[in-house]
Amino acid sequence: MLRFRTTLTLLPVVMALGLVTQACSMGPWSLRRSAGSTGLLGQDTDRQDPVVSGDGQWLASLMVRDGTPTLLLQQQPSGRRVPLPQLGGMTPHRSPSLSWNGRYLALVVQQGPRRQVVVEDRATGKLHRLQLPVGLEPDRLSLAPDGRRLAVATVVQGRPQVQLFELSALLEPDLPPAQAIRGQANPLESP
Amino acid sequence: MGLGMGVCLASLLSACMGPMPMPLGALNGQLAQEGSHREPSLSGQWLALIANRSGRDQVELVNVERQRPVPLPGLNRPDALPLSVSVDGTGDRLAVVRQVASRTELVLYRRSLMHLEIIPMAPAGVPRRASLRADGREIALEVSRNGRVEVDLIQVP
Repeated sequence: MLRFRTTLTLLPVVMALGLVTQACSMGPWSLRRSAGSTGLLGQDTDRQDPVVSGDGQWLASLMVRDGTPTLLLQQQPSGRRVPLPQLGGMTPHRSPSLSWNGRYLALVVQQGPRRQVVVEDRATGKLHRLQLPVGLEPDRLSLAPDGRRLAVATVVQGRPQVQLFELSALLEPDLPPAQAIRGQANPLESP
Repeated sequence: MGLGMGVCLASLLSACMGPMPMPLGALNGQLAQEGSHREPSLSGQWLALIANRSGRDQVELVNVERQRPVPLPGLNRPDALPLSVSVDGTGDRLAVVRQVASRTELVLYRRSLMHLEIIPMAPAGVPRRASLRADGREIALEVSRNGRVEVDLIQVP
């Protein structure tokens, strides 16, 4: 009985020592965390394709619901889920990408038989449906953090290719605060 | 007359179908000539991607402004198969998921130091896809763990 009590008393100490040992073995890489729950009760599903905005305030990832990847946008570090009603009905979603302050959210969506690149401007609520050259079926994409360029991975004549596009004529730049135009407030910071 | 009609038609099409982004013709042509590419990551003036050269996949970093690749000494090795790559806004740090022999590992490469570091997985898991924050301070990682696919956020020291 005494031995059992002693074991119970020492258990937290042993666990703490284990954590310290693990942190030491991780060296400088010990600062990490899980992205946490999807916020959907009883529907904690697989999470794929995570991206964080340049300012670290927004995390976009795909959660797989009933086998269909669907975009999830969360504020960090709270994990608060942000609704994206404009993207409903365009699943499966693929390859999300965020601009510096999370103003622009680019991804590949399904529109009937075709995949399409869309960019949601979260400051204005406008959804830009980009028309890529005929025959170019997007597979993955990467939006430059300032929103000025877009890289699209596609397959041309059976060969994987990457093509770049200029977006400056379509989107205002989304710059880090130090580079932003003086006096221009970040529209996403309001509650 | 013909040109005017063409512009008018393009405007009409754009209005009906959505805006048409302008292709970066010269760089796109150059990439197409060089071979196949996948997994693009665009940040600042840098484009990181996985290129297939003579049947072998390798990580490449292209300066988009100068339209030319930059050397990555010590990053690519013959026995490693890169699966995913992501670059920060300065083009200095690259997060790479790669397969070496039977294991899959996440590495951080610092171009200015020509230094490659394997990032340990804890809790244990198999990294699948990494995305480096534009300021290089955090990696969002898709990781397979205990039969599930999860997202880890790893602070870069």
